[in-house]
Amino acid sequence: MRSGNGASYQPGRLPRGARPRPRRSTYYGPASHRSRVFVLTVLLASLLLTLLARLAYVQLIDPNKPIQSAGLTHLGAITVPAPRGDIVDSRGRVLVGNAAVQVLTVNRSALDALDDKGIAVLDRLAGLIGTPAADLRREITPCGSTVPAPCWTGEPYEPVPVATGISASVILAVSEHAEDYPGVAVQTQSELSYPGGSSAAHLLGYAGAVSEADKKTDKALVDADTIGRSGLEESYDQVLRGVDGTQYVDLAPTGEAVGTGPSVAAKPGDTLVTSIDSKVQQLAEKSLSDQIATSRKAGNAAPSGAVVVMDPHTGRIIAAASYPTYDPALFVGGISNADYAKLTAPAANDPLVSRAIAGQYAPGSTFKLVSLSDDVMSGAMSLDGQYPCPGSLTVDGRVKTNYDGESFGGAITPKFALQVSCDTFFYAPAVAEYYADQARVDKKQKPLEQEQAMARAFGFSSAPGVDLPADEQASGTIAGRATRQARWDANKTQYCADAKRGYPEVTNPTNRAYLTLLASENCTDGWRYRAGDNADLAIGQGDTTLSPLQLATAYSAMVNGGTLYAPTLGWAEVNQNGKVTKTITPKVVRKVPVSKQVLDFFGDSLHFDDSHAVSGALAFDGSPIKTLIGGKTGTAEVYGKQDTSWFASWGPVQPGQPVSNAKYVVVSMVEQAGTGASAAAPIARKVFEGLLGASAPAISPGGHPATVLPKIAPTVRTTTAASAAPSSSPGAPPAATASQSANASPSANTGQSANASHSATASRSVTSAPSGLPDAVPTAGTSMGRRR
Amino acid sequence: MTAVLRPYRPTTGPSRSSGRLRSYDRVLLVAVFLLCVIGALLVWSATRTRLLDEGANPQTYLAKQVLNTALGAVLLVLASRVDSRLLRLLGPALYLASILGLLAVFVFGSTINGAHAWIVLPAGFEIQPAEFAKLGLILALAVLFGQRAERRAAGMPPRPRELLGALVLAIVPLGLIMLQPDLGSAMVLVAATFGVFLSAGVQTRWIVAMIAVGVVGAVLAIHAGLLAEYQLARFAAFTHPGQDPQGVAYNITQADIAISHGGLLGQGLFHGAQTSGAFVPEQQTDFVFSVAGEELGFAGSAAVIALFGVVLWRGTRIALAATETSRYVAAGVVCWIGFQAFQNIGMNLGLTPVTGLPLPFVSYGGSSMFAMGLAVGTLEAIHRTNRQSSQR
Repeated sequence: MRSGNGASYQPGRLPRGARPRPRRSTYYGPASHRSRVFVLTVLLASLLLTLLARLAYVQLIDPNKPIQSAGLTHLGAITVPAPRGDIVDSRGRVLVGNAAVQVLTVNRSALDALDDKGIAVLDRLAGLIGTPAADLRREITPCGSTVPAPCWTGEPYEPVPVATGISASVILAVSEHAEDYPGVAVQTQSELSYPGGSSAAHLLGYAGAVSEADKKTDKALVDADTIGRSGLEESYDQVLRGVDGTQYVDLAPTGEAVGTGPSVAAKPGDTLVTSIDSKVQQLAEKSLSDQIATSRKAGNAAPSGAVVVMDPHTGRIIAAASYPTYDPALFVGGISNADYAKLTAPAANDPLVSRAIAGQYAPGSTFKLVSLSDDVMSGAMSLDGQYPCPGSLTVDGRVKTNYDGESFGGAITPKFALQVSCDTFFYAPAVAEYYADQARVDKKQKPLEQEQAMARAFGFSSAPGVDLPADEQASGTIAGRATRQARWDANKTQYCADAKRGYPEVTNPTNRAYLTLLASENCTDGWRYRAGDNADLAIGQGDTTLSPLQLATAYSAMVNGGTLYAPTLGWAEVNQNGKVTKTITPKVVRKVPVSKQVLDFFGDSLHFDDSHAVSGALAFDGSPIKTLIGGKTGTAEVYGKQDTSWFASWGPVQPGQPVSNAKYVVVSMVEQAGTGASAAAPIARKVFEGLLGASAPAISPGGHPATVLPKIAPTVRTTTAASAAPSSSPGAPPAATASQSANASPSANTGQSANASHSATASRSVTSAPSGLPDAVPTAGTSMGRRR
Repeated sequence: MTAVLRPYRPTTGPSRSSGRLRSYDRVLLVAVFLLCVIGALLVWSATRTRLLDEGANPQTYLAKQVLNTALGAVLLVLASRVDSRLLRLLGPALYLASILGLLAVFVFGSTINGAHAWIVLPAGFEIQPAEFAKLGLILALAVLFGQRAERRAAGMPPRPRELLGALVLAIVPLGLIMLQPDLGSAMVLVAATFGVFLSAGVQTRWIVAMIAVGVVGAVLAIHAGLLAEYQLARFAAFTHPGQDPQGVAYNITQADIAISHGGLLGQGLFHGAQTSGAFVPEQQTDFVFSVAGEELGFAGSAAVIALFGVVLWRGTRIALAATETSRYVAAGVVCWIGFQAFQNIGMNLGLTPVTGLPLPFVSYGGSSMFAMGLAVGTLEAIHRTNRQSSQR
């Protein structure tokens, strides 16, 4: 540009003198300015030509045209929740499955397209399903700042479930008279089903709706999902959850669905194979509840109990029953307020808590496994020695008696002491150990606390590490100097206050005096770990508590020669093609520091013969399998209550054969039901009779736990996605426009409503369940809060 | 305003009215008129479904646009009757008024689409002083160069002192507009200044130097964070449209979809899927060209570009015929219209970054229409003076 025009600036080239007027004479002015304007013209022309070229390319040439918005930005996405994986037992029987349920849905945009905005359709529908039309109208109205609950929290174009589990006549009415019900559809959805009813409820747990907090911690979760809330459903949630699918719907600019778009199928969750044997589980549950009924008839309170059946060689749980129990099906689709209130009422006695795994009880004499191990391993006792078993023993100024004060005179062998369950026999070494430790404490040395160490080695006072949520397994307590001090530090103010107060609310003067004395002792000396405490520990009393599961694990270690397992329920994960993706192998926690000789001695000593030599044998009188079983009773005294009845047993072991031949360990426990032999042992008897086939064929084939993984058939599940009914006539330009983004989500939350007149949740993906059970408080209305 | 009007008495022609019309550049008028008609139809098409959806009269925008056009036509006629020699008086006055307007924006202004650029008037009207500042700056620069030109030897390029004065004149409104911030209008101001400088004979090396400084300044501004967040986002969306399809890039994507599906003849007025679906935000204003692209196809939108070609052709023709101040004004106006049209259509076609600029004569909006009326009126006034001079 410069080179071309530079010369024209030379003054010499321009007419002088007559400036600037002469330019008028030429229409287009002097050359210099003309060339400048010419440059401008060229520039502008090139701009326009650029536009034309680009326009031609975009409109006529470009082969990659962007997809029209009618098919792109206004594709609405409806989440198709993935069916949760099944939970099956060790023989492949379904414990938690998926059932197809018929759900009646209403498509709001289809109704809106009608002349009367769907009033007539809703009225007809109301008559059909017995829900007031006004309620239906509210339910399908998308939530918004001005829309109070109940309202629809999903996308406006999503079909809203208004009734679930509908009858065949309703389905027929809607499908036969489709013209009367535009926008109304019947969908099949998948929801959890429990073929065994409440069986194994505590192990399986339950699943519920996703909460806002869940969505924060796991971005993959959406409202439509179901999340495991307890039990295996919670601990294996990632395995069972699957991957949600998406059904796309074509949306008119108005936001209404006008057709069905592509879909991405949901990937069902993997199947979890467990070591549970559902037949054994049912037998354990029935035996437990039967015994509780019997115990109650006999005048005992027997409020609760538990049974654990374990494979002692792997630590796998074959059955774990807990009484009272609950029906996990109540949680499907969100538990109603009434049901939840019932489950949590004091009268219900906490059915949600697993007594077998989360319960903590004084174990009584079943704890003598630990005492004997400690006494022998520490050298305080010899297996072939003889030691006294007096009727009573004074420890630290207090008289401690045998159960019912019985005495076997003179010195007895450890075997006999175990068989008759002599307490005083085990007091002496425990007290001696205590004083030896006190001497060390006085010398500023660390106490050995061998008894406590042995208890911990057997897995007590720490979580058993079962593959269940951490808050659903009890650790129990083993008292010692440190724990006592810690407890006192935490509670001394309360102790002293209670001592001062004197328990005026307790009416019984004896109890009042006892409690007050206890409080004042605790106030001043509560930190002190006494010789009597160590004696109590030796017989599983005092502060000693543990769960039936922990006891089964410890007895399994005794049977298998000393290996302490972390008990497991999960056995394998199988994907939807039936392929095993992961086998869950039992985890060894440790070898207990006890010689096999001592463990075998314990098992052999407590093996039943035809006699009543072993205290638990009484309960097996008349049973054909009596001589195949060994077991230790426990009768734990609880202040102010009846005794806790325990029985820890193993079998089958042919007489004279090593205890490690036993295939099962069965631990049973009934609270406030009397001696171990009177309540707990009969339960174990029924379980063993079933396991070993005493009267009928054995319920576990071969008389042993399953050793091979069951074959799991590939999953075929039907979950139809929402199909949006076309609602606007094609060809005509859409009448109105709505949101630009199909992904905008309504801001309002699921509401709380007191309208309990009907329950209309569709599936577990449409729930209003309290999401954090058992801690969370349920929302106020039954099943009315909407979730997708 | 009437004080500066000098009724034109025809010296030739059979009748007063026909003579008056003949004194105009009728080709220019016809092109502008056609653009306005097309604009009104496109605005109508772009807004009717949305208005229907809101339950409003679907012709609301059309009616307002027709009113805007009519007012613009009145301004055109008034401006065309101003003797171009009065520009020396009018230029500085309009310049000062527009500077005051730009300052007023900071006091009474409202923010629309990220820019604090509007003064809202009663009865649903808004004024965007930046639109008038474009004409004001062109006139002021032209007057500055014109006055000096008389004192120079003919054809002598402006001296550095004049150049400095011109730069100061340009920088004041430019700075105020950048503060709003309205990048598009600022770019138009630069383009118009370029047109005046070019036509006024400013040496090429100065122009090149200024462009260089401008580019470096822009780069520095981006790096120093002087640009507003939304402006950077628009640039990012321009360079990477796939990045944020629901955000800033949404406009680009939707306009692209609309235009690319126009084909040769378009989907027909009122029948564009994207347009009637109201997918394109700001479609009646900044993205009005996408309506043309979708509904009128290549034929229709090329015709729109061609009409701009006619307007620019007639504009440069008038500039060529004019002298000094008038020539500079004409060149500035042509640059203004040309660049603004290019920038607007370019962003519709994904060629240039998105900046809030209306398409002259076509986009919905009062201020733009009024300013364009004044601009074309000024061109016509210059044209008439040219004719008078040449006939003399």
